[in-house]
Amino acid sequence: MIFEKRTERIFLATFFIIALCIPLFLESNSFFVGKATTILILAIFVMSLDFLVGRVGLVTLGHALFYGLGGYLFVILTPEYEAVNFWIYAIYVMCVSAFVALVVGVVVLRTSGIYFIMITLAISQMVYYFFFDSLHFGGGDGLFIFIKPDTSIFGLSFLNLDNPTHFYYLALLGVLITLLTIKIVLRSRFGRIVEASRLNPARTEALGYNIFSFKLISYVIGSTLAAYAGLLFALQYGYVNPQFMTWEMSGTALVMSILGGMGTIYGAILGTITYEGLQYFFEHMSKDWMLFMGGSIILMVLLLRKGLAGYLEKLLEK
Amino acid sequence: MNRTKTLARAILATTLCAGLSTSALAAAGDPIKIGLMLPFSGIYAQLGEAGRDGLKLALKEKVSELHGSPIEFIELDTEAKPSRAPELASSLLNQHKVDFVIGPVHSGVAMGMIKMLRGKDTIMIIPNAGSAAATGPLCAPNIFRTSFSSWQPSYPMGKVALEKGYKKIYAISWNYGMGQESLDAFEESFTAGGGEIVKKVLLPFPSTNFQPNVSDIADQNPDAVFTFFAGGGAIKFVKDFDAMGLRGKIPLMGSGFLTEGTLTAQGDAAEGVMTGLHYAEQLDVPKNHEFREAFNTEYGHYPDIYAVQGYDAGQAITNTVNLLKGDISDKQAVISIMEGLIIDSPRGAFTFSKAHNPIQNIYLREVKDGVNVVQSIAAEALEDPARGCKL
Amino acid sequence: MSAELFFVQLVNGIQYGLLLFLIASGLTLIFGVMGILNLAHGSMYMVGAYLVWYFAAVTGSFTAAAALSAVIALGLGILIERLLIQRLYNRNHLDQVLLTIGMIFVFNALQSILWGNDPHGVSVPDALSGSIPFTDNSSYPIYRIFAALVCIGIAAALYFVVSKTRLGMLIRAGESNREMVEALGVNIKNLYTIVFAIGVMLAAISGIIAAPIRSIVPGMGESVLITCFVVVVIGGMGSIKGAFVGALLVGVISTFAAVLIPSMSNMIIYIFMILVLLVKPQGLFSK
Repeated sequence: MIFEKRTERIFLATFFIIALCIPLFLESNSFFVGKATTILILAIFVMSLDFLVGRVGLVTLGHALFYGLGGYLFVILTPEYEAVNFWIYAIYVMCVSAFVALVVGVVVLRTSGIYFIMITLAISQMVYYFFFDSLHFGGGDGLFIFIKPDTSIFGLSFLNLDNPTHFYYLALLGVLITLLTIKIVLRSRFGRIVEASRLNPARTEALGYNIFSFKLISYVIGSTLAAYAGLLFALQYGYVNPQFMTWEMSGTALVMSILGGMGTIYGAILGTITYEGLQYFFEHMSKDWMLFMGGSIILMVLLLRKGLAGYLEKLLEK
Repeated sequence: MNRTKTLARAILATTLCAGLSTSALAAAGDPIKIGLMLPFSGIYAQLGEAGRDGLKLALKEKVSELHGSPIEFIELDTEAKPSRAPELASSLLNQHKVDFVIGPVHSGVAMGMIKMLRGKDTIMIIPNAGSAAATGPLCAPNIFRTSFSSWQPSYPMGKVALEKGYKKIYAISWNYGMGQESLDAFEESFTAGGGEIVKKVLLPFPSTNFQPNVSDIADQNPDAVFTFFAGGGAIKFVKDFDAMGLRGKIPLMGSGFLTEGTLTAQGDAAEGVMTGLHYAEQLDVPKNHEFREAFNTEYGHYPDIYAVQGYDAGQAITNTVNLLKGDISDKQAVISIMEGLIIDSPRGAFTFSKAHNPIQNIYLREVKDGVNVVQSIAAEALEDPARGCKL
Repeated sequence: MSAELFFVQLVNGIQYGLLLFLIASGLTLIFGVMGILNLAHGSMYMVGAYLVWYFAAVTGSFTAAAALSAVIALGLGILIERLLIQRLYNRNHLDQVLLTIGMIFVFNALQSILWGNDPHGVSVPDALSGSIPFTDNSSYPIYRIFAALVCIGIAAALYFVVSKTRLGMLIRAGESNREMVEALGVNIKNLYTIVFAIGVMLAAISGIIAAPIRSIVPGMGESVLITCFVVVVIGGMGSIKGAFVGALLVGVISTFAAVLIPSMSNMIIYIFMILVLLVKPQGLFSK
């Protein structure tokens, strides 16, 4: 069983059952299907961050770089007015992202602690400004993706991405794949060495493991998953904008992941839903929604020591 | 208006009516739903609020034109963040099923909204964002603009500069759509008349560290400077220009936003700045005096350009509803009525071009004693070339 | 570029750098002593600017407004530390990040509620409003020279306090060894409150000093925050001297970039920071 905790199993089972059924209760082009899809896509992004921050110990404030990159790479790699195959191009995008992550990783992993936070921030800001300042890539106005890719495999087509419900299930599939990928990586020998090197780097090194390469591979995995999330987000509305890769985006994802319960992975899903739900609620309630949003964040930090997942576990693990 | 109620009703409606027909057409007497997508927080918040206030004033004044249809507002805060634009637009389109979407202020947000709303069954009225694409390559039957295109305020200024006898111009702005397009429009008319742009600088947005560039201007010593900056950047640039001793030595010209809503903060530093815009607060048009007093009575302060643009978006709605006798269920009819409107704007009456951008006068203004004083009409009934629009 | 223009730009760069130092000093002080990364530092800068604008309008005197604003900021710092930060000392660093992000939201909302969203400006106090001739057709405003001098003064004062006074001794000891300070019979809680409040006040003072030069607009805090990070990281987190050198470097580099390669000038300081970290992964003056 790769899901060790009772709470984790209960939560994930409930989540997937509800998530599978949601479109049955909402009309197909309704706003809420779109909103739910966005939340699922964000959950993928936040899970990939939770893996890096909570499990590998790489506190990055530049994770949105890969989120934005996923969308931009798709626009760059595909011809403008031609429907391409989603799966093939998703793999292209992820391969290029992985390569970028490898290069970035070699640079940023030379630092640690607070400097790691700052250098990841700096690199993502740099890339942000690159896209923002180059009018070739649409500058601050961003770019459109005019034609949605088709999703057929060997000529069989199950999903039509122009249909919001189909897109929703594609995102849900993404959540499942991401969750399993991270869980399997963590359960493997590789994952255990990574965690050991976070908890006790000196000892792991003494056992003859090259911590740097383990961290680097983890960084590439986390970043590539983020790029996949970014690709989905860009495709959902057919729109990319440099704002997807600002540090605010990275910061928000970090908030979601800490709210959910750092390092729990499933907590990332919980944190994303809670954050987005709160924001939606406060925005419709008051024009000063930021006050309530900020207040709730502060209260949750003070009251929930181990995030929402920690609170759930307190309730369920007895 | 009560947002909580709207939200609760919307959630109820969407959950209860799931599966039911979604294309419930609004008949006369049904509420006219107007969705606002404007920034109410962040750096553009003031512009969003002014636009909303203007819009609401128009709908309040012209309530008799609505043939008894109640109005329902749904206000969403864009925070001027493009990443949220498609989602919010989708909320107005699919969740609230609004008849009109008013927004946005920010060009990046406009792109995200247009992606969602283009060709859909709702009318989008842009009350500010001037990006050329909105009424250019991305123009659409259901997209209208009551403000301006980036080209409009800047193009006539090239001619103005030549008439003033300036031969060498230093052009400076931010490196983003609006900045680039404004400088290009100026350059187009200025160089066509034999002027020379000695240097064209595009600074990263939203950097406001202008001092090095002002020193550079002093060093280059051009006949005049042409700029596009708005909001906080406009304040900072005008102040830096003055502080480094260039005011009075080198004339400063710009697209009108350089001195809109910023004059109090700029103080004496703005004296003598010449700008082109489709409006001026002291514009001597009867409608303008009337509007300014009405706005002041309603809100306790005088309106700015953003309020005018919002007001005209409101007028476009009331005029259309009036001409259709309250029945706006046929969106094709709404579009053709809107295309033929003559809007009695505080800026002077205007009509829509084929691409749905206002055909309007551009006034040359000069700041005197803290007021943008109209000097002349720089261009009469100016129509945006709408390059790339196939309407 | 002529020698004269080069000199002018150098002055511009140093003046900008000094202001950056003032903003960054509070951030690096708080991090150095308490190990807290205060993301809401930019908000404190914004608070200072808005307060001085508000009080200058009410009292009519920039000096009175500046003094009043600085004192309020100090009080605000004490309040925040006692009410919120103190509860997180034995918690994860990430919780502190989360808390200060929450604070950014709250301060932005309060700014909008209390002072509205119109852009504002503060006029330069009369006594400092003149300018001195500089080049053929430009002059240098006295207020900006004054602002630079204030920044140098504060830098000197900070240096003096940290290296020469009892408080400074405790701060230096607290950085390296909490237990030792406590063994000396000093209440480390109070020490932390003082340091945090001073850090907040420094940010507010930089907002006050900058108010007549810059524009006072919503979101002004976030825009300086990241530049501030770059400064502090280049210098070495926690080092006042590092922040000083880092600020001057960033000031001069971005000034020349703005003139020589304007369209790239956003990126240039980040590229510079990455290069510094590649050579010295802990910044220039790390301990």
